[in-house]
Formats: sequence, structure tokens, C-alpha cells
Amino acid sequence: MIGLGRDHSAILGLIVIAGTIAMAVLAPALAPGDPIKNSLVDRLTPPMWSAGGSARHPLGTDTLGRDVASRLLYGARVSLIVGLAAVVVGGLLGVVLGLLSGYYRGFTDDALMRLGDVQLAFPVLVLAVAVLAVLGASLANVILVLGVTGWITYARIVRGETLSLRQREFVEAARALGATDGYLIRRHILPNVLPPVTVVATFSVARTIIAEASLSFLGLGIPPPAPSWGAMLDEGRNYITTGWWLALFPGLAILLLVLGINLVGDWLRDQLDPRMERSM
Amino acid sequence: MRAFVLRRALHAVFVLWGVVTAVFFLVRLTGDPTPFLVDQTATQQEIAEARRSLGLDRPLYVQYLEFLRAVPHGDFGTSIREKRPAMQMVLESLWPATVELAAAALLLSTVLAIPLGVASATHKNGAVDHASRLASLFLQSMPSFWLGLMLILLFAVELGGLLPAFGSGSVQHLILPAVTLAAAPLAQNVRLIRSGMLEVLQQDYVRTARAKGLAERFVIYRHALRNAAIPVITVTGLSLGFMLSGAVIIETVFSWPGMGRLIVQAVPGRDFPVIQAGVFVFALIFVGLNLIVDLLYTVVDPRVRLT
Amino acid sequence: MIRWTGPLLVALALVWPSAIAAQPRTVDGVAIDPDAELVVALADDTTNMDPRIGMGSIRSNYIRQVFEGLVDVDAQGRPVPGLALSWKPVNELTWEFVLRRGVTFHDGEPFNADTVLFNLDRFFRRNLDKWGLKDVLAATSFEKTYPFVTRWEKVDDYTVRIHTSEPAPTLWDFIGREPMVPRAYTIKHGVDGLNERPVGTGPWKMVEWKRKTSMLFERNDAYWGTQPLFRKMRFQIIPEGAARIAALRAGQVALIEAVPPFDAPALAQDAKLKVVSSPQKLSCRIYLNARPKDKYDSGGKDGLFSDQRVRLALNLAVNKDAIIKKIFNGYALANASPVATVAYGYAAQEPYPYDPARARALLAEAGFRDTNPLTLQLLFPAKHYGQSFDEMTPAVAEMLKDVGVQVTIKPVDFATLLQTASKGTLPPNGGFAACRTGNNLDADDFLRDWSSIAMINWAPYPPELMLLYTATRREVDAPKRLKLLADLQRQVRDWAPVVALYQEVKVYAHSARVLRFTPLPELNMDFRGVALKK
Repeated sequence: MIGLGRDHSAILGLIVIAGTIAMAVLAPALAPGDPIKNSLVDRLTPPMWSAGGSARHPLGTDTLGRDVASRLLYGARVSLIVGLAAVVVGGLLGVVLGLLSGYYRGFTDDALMRLGDVQLAFPVLVLAVAVLAVLGASLANVILVLGVTGWITYARIVRGETLSLRQREFVEAARALGATDGYLIRRHILPNVLPPVTVVATFSVARTIIAEASLSFLGLGIPPPAPSWGAMLDEGRNYITTGWWLALFPGLAILLLVLGINLVGDWLRDQLDPRMERSM
Repeated sequence: MRAFVLRRALHAVFVLWGVVTAVFFLVRLTGDPTPFLVDQTATQQEIAEARRSLGLDRPLYVQYLEFLRAVPHGDFGTSIREKRPAMQMVLESLWPATVELAAAALLLSTVLAIPLGVASATHKNGAVDHASRLASLFLQSMPSFWLGLMLILLFAVELGGLLPAFGSGSVQHLILPAVTLAAAPLAQNVRLIRSGMLEVLQQDYVRTARAKGLAERFVIYRHALRNAAIPVITVTGLSLGFMLSGAVIIETVFSWPGMGRLIVQAVPGRDFPVIQAGVFVFALIFVGLNLIVDLLYTVVDPRVRLT
Repeated sequence: MIRWTGPLLVALALVWPSAIAAQPRTVDGVAIDPDAELVVALADDTTNMDPRIGMGSIRSNYIRQVFEGLVDVDAQGRPVPGLALSWKPVNELTWEFVLRRGVTFHDGEPFNADTVLFNLDRFFRRNLDKWGLKDVLAATSFEKTYPFVTRWEKVDDYTVRIHTSEPAPTLWDFIGREPMVPRAYTIKHGVDGLNERPVGTGPWKMVEWKRKTSMLFERNDAYWGTQPLFRKMRFQIIPEGAARIAALRAGQVALIEAVPPFDAPALAQDAKLKVVSSPQKLSCRIYLNARPKDKYDSGGKDGLFSDQRVRLALNLAVNKDAIIKKIFNGYALANASPVATVAYGYAAQEPYPYDPARARALLAEAGFRDTNPLTLQLLFPAKHYGQSFDEMTPAVAEMLKDVGVQVTIKPVDFATLLQTASKGTLPPNGGFAACRTGNNLDADDFLRDWSSIAMINWAPYPPELMLLYTATRREVDAPKRLKLLADLQRQVRDWAPVVALYQEVKVYAHSARVLRFTPLPELNMDFRGVALKK
């Protein structure tokens, strides 16, 4: 796959991502059953190619008799929404704060960077656990927590770029001609800042999707009966031997989606900012 | 140099102060540990008395000042659940459990990465290269606990107890958890070393060294690797935080009695002293290690100015 | 020389049988290994070995290997002599305990009436200065919960009398089940000493304690009762159920507790393993807000479930058999009595039938129809009671929906649930799913839930039930009291304060090498008489 060259693997990644989005959007049409309604009678039926399975539940049912395939499809929505929304929240916050920090420097910069240092020194998972304990676990709160814990990376990049850009001659010249701060930021700084931010954001989406699964594993993710892949993984982990399909499919789904995003991210980085440290 | 160290030390103290203040107020927002202490049939009066015995009925700023005063002595109070000094519990879980796990994972993820990364770079597009890049991609794309569960399934169950799936106490117990924890960082480091090496191998001074007739291996390890090491050190510094955090999940999956698990389990039980002590120790380690990483830079790359 | 043989033979004859009896080599005709070490996997560690601090839930497992109480329990949940040979009410206001002789603590200190008096002082926090003891915040505060116990005295070295200000028919239970600590040792080493190096009268001595990892025990060879037939035991802590099972299968441990019900059938099919179980004094229910606004700090509104018909309807709507069969694989009990089946004083009640039609009719009678549906905000402490509980709650919610109740499940963490319950901030249409553990043997432990203002009481007894309950607490004559208890249980069953879900059955699995292990209907395990095959 990789030997075919970056472009080919990126296309593969795009296909996976597009497929997942399609799954999420078309879920009501594609789903063979109801992802939420439980039915004890149908509990733990295996996938249709195994003994005891039926075509009515092609990927089997879970511990409450809910159709796994349907939950997988609707779960794509949750993963995508959480991944994108959290990154948007964190990204916006980080870019704005980074701009403020780099542009105005001085006290603002000091304060924000110190805040960032303090937050970094705090164990991420413990922070998430504690904040969710305060706010209660819900889709919005999970997005909030995952987003806010990620602002620093963006802020640092943007701050770095801003700091170096604001010294440049053309900026000085523009200011001499009467350009406002807002204009300078919009016209000169932001366009330079966007490429690395985009690359970081892409990898962040992947990491956030995994983080949501981890939160569910610790019992803090989107609360039931929501069909999130992370929650499905967590529900299925006690049934690895007797109900292998419960953990396998959501695990594969996460793996494939994250893989796709990482491939696209690699390609983006090559295109937009090859200088960037390949640390993602 | 001295000014640098002093400044960094002050910064570190500030960060630690910020962390303990944040955790102090954060845990108090999560709720009240008192109901855990009393029987299900307790009356309001008994509950109030229990709260008083914990010192939680006093005004917040009083509690905070007392807390700050006790911190430099290492006194983080008594665990609500176990009625023992909280710091003692945290240290007991840190050493040897978490240290063992983190050290083993760190070792695995850096030491193994070097030969793999070098082999990938020097034999670019060869079999080793493809295999390791593919594996890296996969390892970085899966949730760590899923990997852990699959490994348990494979080694502990299917292969009939080849490796233990629980607890700690011997090197065998360490293998599965350390491998699981090291997997993603290892993948990352291999890619880093590979790309770093690829860049460096084309540089002028390397060609000069080759032209001088120096052995290939000498060229690689003495010159190239040194420069390729810089990004690895950066990332290791950053990922230490994530590794200590990620240890939480691994510790849960493998029943490893470490500090991460202790803290995370203290949250539902609202065991304030333990959470505070644990987060402090975590931050202390993180800040301390970052300081070391910064100093390491000066050794590896003399061009770096310690501003 | 010939003169020696007589006395020698006599001496041998005296010594030989006891020498053999001390270390049997076979059990039921199977050769056993008397020096073996049994490794047991438990889900949790104890927080403290001091019985006053550490008791409750799984932790009593550790404590009760080392410490014992006056009253012991058999495998059916019946009280039997422990450190006390007998107990009886001398009159309405006095109980007398006759103590067992010849019992010593692990450090050699004798157990006698002075020990019991000291322990009573500790329970009720009296004379703490006299003994020089630190006051500890214990799990149950005796002086608040049992304020009617007034004084205690010794009649002779092996007889103790306890006086009360009103009749106390359950005194043998709440005093008798509490483990006894040694007097001289506790005074000398204090509470910390009890925790670090516990000294009790039990069949096991604690040798080593690696917190959160393992505890090592060694047999107490001077134990007064049936000894375990193997010498060493290790409690290994493995929090994950799947990990415990993996360890058992791999032969790393020989016995595991708390087998999740969904794993039990697979284990039972393994020829090298045995699966055993015992009902527990743990009942899981949905507590409904039936508090009247004037009696309680209920936010100014009556609880929506104050109407008995509504509560009864919800009980009829739950298909308990389906839950027990499908979710618990048969490892749970349906119990319409508020008292657990293995508690002292339990009287079997007519089960609530599964009758959704009748449930709907009752709800309609109470004024709830399609146009005005009954709503329920169900607080659900996920990941606190185990996976089966987590699977059961949504299934039950679905059953309630099927009879027209609009159920909203609100997952909360357990601390939030406790806080809501203790502060009384449940909304009028609120309820919560929780499990109630009985601490002691007597049925009163379950029946007192609705008698006083407490966080667990969301449906206070109406006056007639309150009268009956008070009567059970004053009747000291055992047969009469049992009748009263049976009557009360029948009435509570009809009054339906909660939605009864299931009673827990605890499942253990062990290697076939372990012989004669019988689980107790208690939270702790009993290894007396257990042997390991060679």
C-alpha cells in the first residue's frame, strides 16, 4: 500500500473517510434494525455467517439484543461528530489564543503560555475524568473536554508563526501605511498559519476518535444507549470469547477510520508543509 | 547556564503551584465524598458530622491555605477511603509499579526504534522499510486498550497462559503491559528516526565524511544518528506526559497497580487527598523530566542556545 | 528395659492419634497436600484491616479470615456459635452471652469476658481515654444506630451481660457479628497496629500485605475450631473479571470469586473446574420517589410514586424470569420479600407475577393513560455494580416503556447518586436503581430501610406498617417475633415500596483440586475444612 506512493495511500484514506461519512449520513436508510431499542429475546445472536445467526442481524446483536450493524452505522455519526467538533473547538480556541499570544506578546503571551504549561503538566486523562465528573457525561461535554484539552498544540504553532511573521518587513511596511491589526492578521498571518494547523488538525481528529474510545473504556464517554464505537468496544470487552463480534467490529471500524485519516494527514503534510517535523 | 537553570526552576515551581491549585478546586467541584463514609441509613446529622471530621465544612479559602501550607512538607492529608496518608499511597503505587512500566515502555520505544529506523532509512523501500512503516501506521491507529485486550486474548488465553494477564511481580508480568504501552510511541519513533536519518544522510557533511573514506557504520551512528536524535528527544519529552497518562488505561486493562489507576479510581470515590497527591506527583515528574530533556539538548546539539 | 515399654506404649498411644488427627492425609478418600498454598483471586483489596474501619463489601473477606465474632454463620445463612457458645435474653432488657473457653488470639492473649467488654467499649466509643485509644470514624456508629444499648458487664470470666433501655431482639446480631479484637494488643499498638499487623482469633494469620496486590495468610495451628487442611493461602487482587478467569484457566490461581454470570456457563463446561454459587444478602431494586412533601425535604412536591397502585403496577411490568434467565444465566433470584432469602427471619412471599396487562390497568386506575403518561427519570449508576446490572437496567427500562411509562435513563456516577439520595434532590418523578446489602443476619436490617429519615428511604412506612415494624423490634421472644416478621414482610410485599428486580447470587469457580469448598451467603469466604488435592 505504501509502496504505491504517497498519493495512492492518500486516495485510499480518502475513500475510507468518504465511506464512513456516507455510512453516517445514510444510516437510517442502510441500517437493518433499530440501534437503540433493546430486546432480551434477541440477546447475543452471532453474525449471520455463524451458527445461530440470521440475515435480520447481519453482524449479530449485542447484550441487549440491539442490532450491531445498525449501531455501527449510527455510531459512525458519533465518532465523526466528536472527532470533528472537538478539533474545531480546540483548533479555534488554540488559533485565537495563539494569535493573541504571538501578536500582542507581553503579559498576554506570558499568561497564556504559562496556562498552557500548567495544563500540559496535568495528566490529560485525569483532567478529562475530573471535568466530566463535574459536568456529567454527555455528547456536548465530551466534545468540550476533548476539544479544550487540545488547544495548546495549535496555539504554540500559531504563536511561533505569528512571532516570526510580525517582524517581517512587509508587515512593518503595511503598518506604516496604516493597516489595522485585524487586517494584518487576516491578510498576512492567518494564511501562513493555516497549513501547519490543518495538518495538526487532521491528525488530531484521528487522536480524538481514539481518545473518545478510551474515555468510554473508562466509563466516561457518551452515555448509553448512544451507539458510539467506543461504548460498543467497552460493552463488548467482557465478551471477547463468547461474543467476539461485539468488540471486533467497532474495533475494526475505529482502526480503519483512524488509519484513513492518518494516511490523508501524511499526504497533507507532504503537500502543505514538508519542513514540518514529522512528529505526528 | 546558571541563569538558565534558575529561570527554568522558577518556572517549574510556578507550574507546580498552578497544577495543585487547579486540582484543589477542580476536585471540590466534583462533589462531596461524605456520603461514601456513612451507612446507607445515615441521618443528615451523621452526614454533617462526617463532613466536619473531614474538615470540609470550613470555608474554601481556609482549606486552600491549609493545603498550601502542608504541601511543601509532602503532607497531602489522609485518604478518605483508606485512612492512610495520601502521599504514601501515591508513592507506593508509583514505585515500583508505574516507574517499572513507564521505564520499560520508554526503553522499548526508544531502543527498539533505533535499529528499525536506521534499517528503514538505509534500505529505503526495502522489505524492512515497508513492513515497519505499515506496522507503524497500524499501531498508531488503534486504541491502546484494544491492542492490550487482543494481546491478552492471544498470549494469556489462547496460548494457554504463556504470559500472565494480570498483576505485577515479575518480569513476565511486565512484558504485555510494557509492550502495549510502548507500541504507539515505538511506531512514532521509528518514523521519526527514519525521516530524520533520510534528511541527514543527504547532507553535505555526511557526504564529506563518506568521501573521507570513513566506514559506513561510523558515518551513520556517529554523525547522522546524532542529528536525527533531536526530534526523538523532543517527542519523547512531550510523549512522556502522554505515556504516563496512557499508562492509566494500560494499568486498568492489565490490573497493574500503578499510580495512574490509583488516581483515576480515586475520582469516582471523590478521594480528594489521593487525587491531589497523585496529580502533584505526576506534574512533578513531568516538569522534572522536561527540564532534563531541555538540558539534554545542549549535549546533543551544541547549536541550541539556552535562551 | 521391659519396664519402659509399658509407659512408653501408653505415651505413644496417647500421642499417636492426635499426631495423626492433626494432619489428615486424605479427605473423602482422596489424597491431599497439607502443605499446599491456595491462591485465591479477589476483585478488590481491603482498605484497612481494623474491623471497625474496614468492613463492608468485599473487604470483610480479608478481615474475617483473621478476626471472628461471637456469632458465626453456616452455609444456609443460619446463626451458629462462634466465639460465643450461646446467647439468650435473660429478660426483656438484658442479653447474656456465654463465651467459648480456651480461645487465644494469634499472639497468645486469651479471649475472655474482658476482651468482649473492651470491644463493646470500642464499638460504642466509650472510655476511649481510659484505654488510650484514638477515635476512629467507623463504618457504622454504634452509639447512634443503637442508642438503646446502655451498659455491659461481666458475670464471670466467660459470661457477659448487655443491658438495654428497651427490648432489643436483634442485639445478638449486630453485636454478635462484629469481629473481636484483642484488648492488650490494641491498647499497646493502637488502630495502626491493628491495620498493619492484625491479630485475631481466626483460622488464618496475616503474614504479608502488599497493598492492591496480594495478602499472604498462614494457618493458625492453635485455632479452636475446624482447621483448613492446607497451610498457606494467598489472596491475589485481580480487578478485571476476565483476567480472573484467564488466571484460573491458566492455573495461576486455584479459586476465583465474583465470576460474572455471563461467564459462568462456559466455565461450568470445563471438566477441570467447578462452578459453585450462593445467594447473597443483596437485593437490587428501583427506588421510586414516594416521599410526601411535608415530611421530607423533597423540594415542595409529593413524589409521583406515592400511589401504591403505581408502584405495584411497575412491579408487575418487569419480567424477572426473562432477566434472570437471559442476563444472569440463572444466577440470580426473584424475591418478592424485601428481606433476602438467606437472612434470619425471611419468610417466602407470593412472587409478583409478570402481568403487563394488569400493570396497565393499575396505572390507568391511578390516572395515567396514553394522554397523561407516567414519567420516570431513572438515575442509573453505570459501572458500579457490574456488567450484568448495567445490562439489566436498560432492559428493565424497556419493559416499563412497554406498559406506557416514559422512562428516561440518566447515567450518573455513583458518588452523584449518593449525593442526590442523601441531599434529597431527586425530582418528583425520579427514581434510582441501586442494590441494598444487608450488613448482618437479621431481617430487620432490610426492614428498617423505610422506618426513619435516611438517604435510602424514599417511601416511608404508613402508620399501620410502622406499628408492625416497631412491634418486631420489641418482641424478644424468638418464635413470636418470627411470626411478626412474616406478617410484616407480607404487608410490605403488597405495599411495594420499591420495584424489586433481583437478589444477587454470587458465583465462584475453582479448580477441581480444591475440595469441600462451600460458598457462604455472606460476603466472605470460609476455608475451614477445605483441602487441596495432591
